[in-house]
Amino acid sequence: MVIESAPDFETQDLLINVGPQHPSTHGVFRMILEVDGEIVKDLIPHIGYLHRGAEKLCENNDFRQGVGYMDRTEYLASHNAELSYVMAVEALAELEVPERAQWIRMILCELNRLSSHFMFLGAFGVDVGVFGTPFIYAWREREALIDLFEEISGDRMMYAYFRAGGLAWEVPGNFEERVREVLVSTRQGMKDFDNLLTRNEIFLARTKNVGIISAEDAIELGMSGPTLRASGVSLDIRKSEPYMYYDQIDFEVPIGTNGDVFDRYIVRLKEMEQSVSIIEQCLERLNDGPIMPERMPRMLRLPEGQEVYIRTEAPRGEYGIYLVSKGGNKPWRLKVRSACLSNLQALKKMSVGQYVADAIIILGSIDIVLSEVDR
Amino acid sequence: MRGIIKSLATTMSTFIRGPVTHGYPSKHRELPERDRAFPLLLWDKDIDEPFCTGCHACERACPVECMTVIMKDNPNHESQDGNSKRRKIVDEFWIDYGRCMRCNICVEVCNFEAIAMNNTWSGHETSVYDRADLVMDLPQLMAQSKSDEIQEWVAD
Amino acid sequence: MNNGIYGIEIAWLDAVIRLHIIVGLMTVVVMGLIYVERKVLARFQQRLGPTRTGPAGLLQSVADGLKLVGKEDLRPRNADPWTFELAPYMVFIPVFLGFVIVPFAFGMQVRILELGLIYFVATSSLGIIGWVMAGWGSDNRYAMIGGMRAAAQGISYELPLVLSLISVAMVSESYNLNEIVLSQSTYPNLLWQPLVLVIFIIAGLAELNRTPFDIPVGESEVVGGPFVEYSGIRWSFFFLAEYAALFIMGLIFAAVFMGGWAWPLGEELGRGWQILLVTVKTSLFIFLIFWIRASVPRLRIDQLMAFSWKILLPLTFAQVLINGAVLVYDAPLWILTITGLVGIAVLVRLIERAVRPSPAISNEVVTAGNEGAS
Ligand code: SF4
Ligand code: SF4
Repeated sequence: MVIESAPDFETQDLLINVGPQHPSTHGVFRMILEVDGEIVKDLIPHIGYLHRGAEKLCENNDFRQGVGYMDRTEYLASHNAELSYVMAVEALAELEVPERAQWIRMILCELNRLSSHFMFLGAFGVDVGVFGTPFIYAWREREALIDLFEEISGDRMMYAYFRAGGLAWEVPGNFEERVREVLVSTRQGMKDFDNLLTRNEIFLARTKNVGIISAEDAIELGMSGPTLRASGVSLDIRKSEPYMYYDQIDFEVPIGTNGDVFDRYIVRLKEMEQSVSIIEQCLERLNDGPIMPERMPRMLRLPEGQEVYIRTEAPRGEYGIYLVSKGGNKPWRLKVRSACLSNLQALKKMSVGQYVADAIIILGSIDIVLSEVDR
Repeated sequence: MRGIIKSLATTMSTFIRGPVTHGYPSKHRELPERDRAFPLLLWDKDIDEPFCTGCHACERACPVECMTVIMKDNPNHESQDGNSKRRKIVDEFWIDYGRCMRCNICVEVCNFEAIAMNNTWSGHETSVYDRADLVMDLPQLMAQSKSDEIQEWVAD
Repeated sequence: MNNGIYGIEIAWLDAVIRLHIIVGLMTVVVMGLIYVERKVLARFQQRLGPTRTGPAGLLQSVADGLKLVGKEDLRPRNADPWTFELAPYMVFIPVFLGFVIVPFAFGMQVRILELGLIYFVATSSLGIIGWVMAGWGSDNRYAMIGGMRAAAQGISYELPLVLSLISVAMVSESYNLNEIVLSQSTYPNLLWQPLVLVIFIIAGLAELNRTPFDIPVGESEVVGGPFVEYSGIRWSFFFLAEYAALFIMGLIFAAVFMGGWAWPLGEELGRGWQILLVTVKTSLFIFLIFWIRASVPRLRIDQLMAFSWKILLPLTFAQVLINGAVLVYDAPLWILTITGLVGIAVLVRLIERAVRPSPAISNEVVTAGNEGAS
């Protein structure tokens, strides 16, 4: 649709401000679009509206208190965020986590991946333009998952359930039945999404071949998680550097071929199926036992002059914690390596040259959580 | 076109399945017993005084420093011809619910099981017009436990 | 048959009275529609919808209306006063004018016009001016993009809509809505014109700016499009116009394709039955539109245009030509049914071909979007 304009016909690019209050910026993200008609010429992202200094706060709090702050850096997948943190502390303190605690952690992390991906599906569906329906479907399934988290940890989003060494307390007695129950409804929810969106021609027309990013570019920009895998790079930390007991679990890493918006959607949907199967395998191996190490100091102190970088595969990609200890019960330096921040760097590359409506769904397909970007 | 028809069929199937939401303010979901709203102080019914001895442990452990505890000598202690074994007891206690991040640490550190997380709806429906009203004092913190409205759950 | 109601013989007085009845009816219907839409959409999304105002939320629209009337009428300082303030009426009046020709039952319309269908199309397309005025006058970039989109979309979908109505008129051999209805008392037109029915629904959706063609008002892109800056009573006029247009489109659908008040019970029925029939048929259309709204994503502007010009328009042209041939040579009408069904198959094929992923996997950033996909 390129319209040749007469040479003396002066046109001007239009600057549109999208966000921080805009229905589809997923939190307080702001981008300035320079558009020529409907085509995006340039895109300037602005972040930092949600900066709370979470890293600095953690440096002023001991290792038990820090868990609560980690929840808030990644509020859609708090278990995964907590996991990186406690694993970093455990690595420095050389704590041996009991087997049962590990399995429960794995189950919870995968459940959290499910709930986070549901959130993506819902928000993405609305970005593509279905009036609310995917959102409510997502909410329906996420509600079941969150109810489960609430029964286990007592909170719906800010679980504060993992502790350095294990778990804060035992899971309730009917844990296994409840998880299986929730998985049934989760499967139904995934099927609903599959039926609603995957084959819908309008959805395909909107998402296929939009916002393509090549594997090389994706790697260069430091992208990770499903956003990277959609470009055809098979990198999943659960596979490449297995932590916890992921090496004992049989699962696949779905990858995309085209690196477009549709691939990022379908990779996540397939990943959810894998998560369900991982949870089922974990449930089979779950056995009784302690959830905290035998000898656990009342106040955890780390040895002096050590550092560690732990990374885990959070729903949005590599969630890393860099922890430097100079002794005492607090980290000397804590750095969160946020997957969203790196993934967001690709936004401009993907959006320039596309339509305005595409820029919105491209942003949606990256699936950012602003609290993780800004921390 | 076939995909669109499939979408239509999906929404029709949910149309038939019926609503999954509740009319919230008039209908409350049942909360699990572990539900964590905000911390509350517990009342010792046997002796008619709070469990809390004002030991400051929770105050020091709180990551957001939202608690203030003042301790006093217990007038009801055995040495004062009372029937309580607590030498010290809480005098004043404030928790700023506006700051509390509901992390459960205060409950974990308390040696006297004197504090618990509110697991009733009253803990979630705390909207007020003035932030200052979110700073709870001792009588407010204890009211629920005194009147038996809370079945506390404390992790072992 | 046009003896006036209540025996009033003065033509203009009669028309004024009828129009007043329509105004009252329309307001009630629009309020009802808003409530029904919210309830139906909620049900599609497994929600409850409005529940708190009145029994089962029945008074929700009334409450909303009162709220809108009570709100301050804001105008941005840089807005163009005239275009900004007149735009709501420019959107609303054409829609309202359309009601002049709609038959609710035998003899129950304001005026029977010989060129009723043409009149309807002419009035309904006037509303685009209001949209552009609102978009331009608001001095808001979202609004401007929305207004331009509305103009482009309105003009493109006008054609398939008109042509689809024309091809129905060919079969019924009249532009007069009353006669179109009467001509269908045994077989409704949708039997002869299945393809046109589909195209009418698609183009109607686009004319009404409803999902999947709600591009001008796309919530997630342009935040409400031309209406961003409006508030209070002016905004409610847009709303009123939107739902009134939906209602009128449903009525036209009932009259033109479903045989209005005549089919399938014949012409000899009482008024009550006729009105009931029309209501059911209109509701069917409206329910379909709500259903589609709950289920499908929004198209992109270029896909929307391509769809109209490259797929819908040629197909309607072909249908008009076939109609002409069949009618001129007095061929049996079932030929039209067959060609219509073939046309639908072609439409489905074309849509599916358009979205088929391109075979070559390109690993480069596309800089020009994918053109023509729809
Ligand atoms: S609540 Fe417990 S920890 Fe806090 S001051 Fe009272 S007794 Fe000490
Ligand atoms: S729950 Fe956490 S933040 Fe709240 S008062 Fe207790 S320790 Fe402080």
